[in-house]
Amino acid sequence: MSDAVLSPGKRIRPLVALAAGELVRAKPVGPLAVAVAVEYVHAASLVLDDLPSMDNAVRRRGRAAIHLAYGVATAELAAVTLLSRAFEIVARESGIAAEVRARISGELAGAIGAYGCCGGQAADLAADAASVVLDDLEAIHARKTGALFVAAVRGGALAGKASEATLEALTLYARNLGLAFQITDDVLDVQGDPEHLGKDTHRDAHRANFATVLGIESSRALVGELLDTATAALSPFRRRGAVLADLAGYVRDRRS
Amino acid sequence: MSSLPPRPTLSQARAKLYELGYLKSRIERFVFHRALQSIAVLLLPVVFAGALAVSLAETAAVAASQFRYGESPRAVGLLFAHLYLAAVLPSAVFAAILFLAAGRSRRPGRGAAVFGLLAAAGALFLWIFGTLRLGPERPAAALVWGIPVSLASLLFGAAARATFLARAFAGSGRLPERPRRAILVFAVAGAFSVAAVLFATRREQVHPAPPLPRRRGEAVVVVGIDGLALDSPRARDEPIARRLSGAPAGWWETHPASPAEIWTDLATGVPAARHGVRALEWVRPLGVPALRPPSGASWYLRGVGLAVGTVARAPVSAWERRSLAFWEVAASAGLPALAVGWWASGPWPGAAVVENREVLARSASGIDADSVAIREFERRFEGQRVAALYLPGADILRSDPPARAVALRELAPFLDRWIARARLGEVVLAVVTADSHPPPGSHGRLFVFDGGILPGAGIRRIRPVDVAPSVLARAGIPAARDLAGRAITTLFRPGTLDPTTVATYGERIAPPATARPETDREYLEKLKSLGYLN
Repeated sequence: MSDAVLSPGKRIRPLVALAAGELVRAKPVGPLAVAVAVEYVHAASLVLDDLPSMDNAVRRRGRAAIHLAYGVATAELAAVTLLSRAFEIVARESGIAAEVRARISGELAGAIGAYGCCGGQAADLAADAASVVLDDLEAIHARKTGALFVAAVRGGALAGKASEATLEALTLYARNLGLAFQITDDVLDVQGDPEHLGKDTHRDAHRANFATVLGIESSRALVGELLDTATAALSPFRRRGAVLADLAGYVRDRRS
Repeated sequence: MSSLPPRPTLSQARAKLYELGYLKSRIERFVFHRALQSIAVLLLPVVFAGALAVSLAETAAVAASQFRYGESPRAVGLLFAHLYLAAVLPSAVFAAILFLAAGRSRRPGRGAAVFGLLAAAGALFLWIFGTLRLGPERPAAALVWGIPVSLASLLFGAAARATFLARAFAGSGRLPERPRRAILVFAVAGAFSVAAVLFATRREQVHPAPPLPRRRGEAVVVVGIDGLALDSPRARDEPIARRLSGAPAGWWETHPASPAEIWTDLATGVPAARHGVRALEWVRPLGVPALRPPSGASWYLRGVGLAVGTVARAPVSAWERRSLAFWEVAASAGLPALAVGWWASGPWPGAAVVENREVLARSASGIDADSVAIREFERRFEGQRVAALYLPGADILRSDPPARAVALRELAPFLDRWIARARLGEVVLAVVTADSHPPPGSHGRLFVFDGGILPGAGIRRIRPVDVAPSVLARAGIPAARDLAGRAITTLFRPGTLDPTTVATYGERIAPPATARPETDREYLEKLKSLGYLN
């Protein structure tokens, strides 16, 4: 569990949660709990994603994949434990009102379930690389990647009692950011250096991804437009949206 | 062998992602989120901002022109509250029209700009036109009011524009291609500049010390007989006409005017636009002094407010008069002065005044009214240097010719007494007759008994506003150059009128009026019973 959570990663999802909390001027303790829970969920999803029955990855975050280091059974148990721990963190956080905790838990559960990582991964596994089109890719990654970004930003904002309008704007931000993040991931998978990335590249050679379906140039162009859109969604917040806008900038410039 | 699906072009991919909900920040949905939740939420800002701008504009017009409001924050505040409530309904109607128009708009940017401009311009028009119409002679005060009015108009315009966009967006999901926010600011700034120019052309009233009389001579007595026209052949046979014939005289005709207006023209030497008295009846919103309704608020102040009881009728009084009557000028100049029964008369330092309401309150009929007025006049006359008496009997009894004839016959002895005194040189007597019937206007005459009557002196055309400066000049008081009227030298003994002038007599600033709603009600009832009001 420690390896899965503490291995060097970008931590962009928890940062998004924290920045969303800051945007709505929440006390730090609430968004922090959400950030930790989101990162636990993400770590669990990576452990599961790397299993032999799934992507069968060898390296993750510059280290051996969890199932190779500790065995498949331990990896599966660790993933389940991380997920339950994520909900425990939120549920026990007394700095968040009870009804808000329930709502945040709902957001997390949604990001994990059929309309989240699990549903996206299932669709990914079932997809035929030869016939995948853009709609299919979006349907997969909106759930695999985008859903947790959305949960992170909404959870962080909910901890600060954000209005529905604010949540709506932040959701728009997170959806566009999540898809941009995934397309960048796919481009780096095709073009990136495994040492620099800390994970296997060309894993998706046998599976369709955005880079292969759209081409590198189009993918990069769309990443720029998606991030512009994400940033534009923050404009009502003016300076308060600066950190989230910086995170979008980070995704635009990321090399790993 | 299956073939790979064709690779989408960038624009195809972009279109697909747009279709899937990406690449559109839909920031407008966030901005208009609350507005789109319900029509009420969408329209309320327009209604409230509209009511604010309109009521502020109307309040500004009243406060800058009906000057006592400007001096009383409480009166201004209460008036604003009344007008705000009154403005909610028209603002709601405007909001509803805007809502309908926006729902059908194909060019939301242009439509929003037009409605924003209409909103701001409407409020500014009410301010500028209302201030000008109500008689502004305080350009500085009017312009100071222009600042909050302009800001409120800007707010109203912005609210109308944003609501239009929100409604149009709800229908089409599209926003204007080009924002036109600056146009509102330019328009409001332009209107403010126009107002500054218009108001600057107005004259600021000054308050000089009253002029001192140059000479002392005979007392000047002005007797006004209402409801008596002496320009028909039949009228010449009336007993009054026979007594007045032969005296130097002037005649006039004016546009339609109420008795209060024409008799105030006669007393002040300025037209209604200056003295401010136009009707027998004003309105008095609860807790607020009587006022002339500003532009756009008449429907409430004369209609709905009266019906629901938030507004009461108020009879005309000296409180509404902005210009000094000749007896007030005389009293201010140190001459003992008397006024009995004149319309829009009221207490004035140094003058003995029996108000019109006091005379009518003690009268059961037109004959009574004349008797009471004459009795009061003669009881108080001794020692006065300038005196005015208004006799309403003939006017009140217009619809009762026999009674009217009796009233006029009973005036004869009174006139005989005073004409005799005039012939003896004790007084200078000016008799004014006026009648507003039949339409279309007021017509009347001025007869002057200044020493001996000059037989065959003839009659010449004058204006009602010439009477006051003539009387004052004969009393030895320099005429004010800002009066509309001029002293008619040919009606008086040669060389008796003071030829000197002063710039102005200033504005009439009376002590604050005491609220007399009970008396007002009685006065109104009396005016109705005597046939003045419907």
